[in-house]
Amino acid sequence: MTPVKIILILFLLIVLRMFLVQKSLTVIKRVVAFLMFFILLTLVLFPDLSTLIANFIGVGRGVDLVFYFSHLFLLLLIISLWRRTIVLMTDITKLSRTLALQNPNKPREQKGQTDDKAE
Amino acid sequence: MDSSSVWVIIPAYNEAQVIVEVLRELLDYNPSYQVVVVDDGSSDGTAAIARNLPVHVLSHPVNLGQGAALATGIEYALRQKAEVVVTFDADGQMRPQDIGTLVNEVVDGQVDVALGSRFLTSAPEGISRMKRILLKLATVLTRITTGLKITDAHNGIRAFRAEAVRKLVLTQNQMAHASEILSEIARNKLVYREVPVKIRYTTYSKAKGQSIFNSINILFELLIGGKK
Repeated sequence: MTPVKIILILFLLIVLRMFLVQKSLTVIKRVVAFLMFFILLTLVLFPDLSTLIANFIGVGRGVDLVFYFSHLFLLLLIISLWRRTIVLMTDITKLSRTLALQNPNKPREQKGQTDDKAE
Repeated sequence: MDSSSVWVIIPAYNEAQVIVEVLRELLDYNPSYQVVVVDDGSSDGTAAIARNLPVHVLSHPVNLGQGAALATGIEYALRQKAEVVVTFDADGQMRPQDIGTLVNEVVDGQVDVALGSRFLTSAPEGISRMKRILLKLATVLTRITTGLKITDAHNGIRAFRAEAVRKLVLTQNQMAHASEILSEIARNKLVYREVPVKIRYTTYSKAKGQSIFNSINILFELLIGGKK
């Protein structure tokens, strides 16, 4: 086994563990995490497989295939994070507005009750 | 109409240097206006300073942006039974007497919204050529996107009839709110009129105000931000 394979496998194990220690994870997400882990592990152990798949869908090299798909995946990730940020920002705005409206600081003596005309 | 039902909303973010002067000038002009300072999470004590004056002070716990602060102030004024809601800047660029003109337009002129414009009469002094070109571009863009024929798309001084401002749905937290207000005016088919106002370009307000490069940010916010 080449050193790069060992590094990649270690990395995959760490990521898998980071996933699984989260108690709130649903069963489906756990299964998906395991599936992803085994798919990636297979690709690390047998890199020629990726070339096989690549050739099948019309890409020259396995490395290129992985490169393309990881970019698409990262793009999706950025978009979903960005959307989540907007949702969060909307919530923070609502929260701040509620707080601000609950604690107004009114002028001490109520003025302007006289019949001043603006016209 | 009693001018105590005119509510002036002033969003303020780190304006401690000028806020007293701006508020004093405003209250001197018409002491019966109800003034609402919306402190947008300032770190320089803007809110504390404003509290010493006979004005309403609302505080956002964190900085959200001028659009969000305006929306908070508008909501507050409507809850307090405002009849006319005015938006005004905290940096001293705007003249209180222009509020009077805008309010008259709404009260006597039978319009829903009166919008201040720098360009209706003579060209304003102290405005850079670049800024003028960009503001012109903004009006062209406004005409294309909303159909509103206005001469000044990014002027922060406006007066609304309460029933009219209630209809606006404001989601842009930052500077794109100015364009959003216009598109909301168009969507709700509000009756609007532009009124000539003067903007005083001081060294302070130039430093605090919109850099011309920020117009790119505003465009970006409009394209992607706010809406879900």
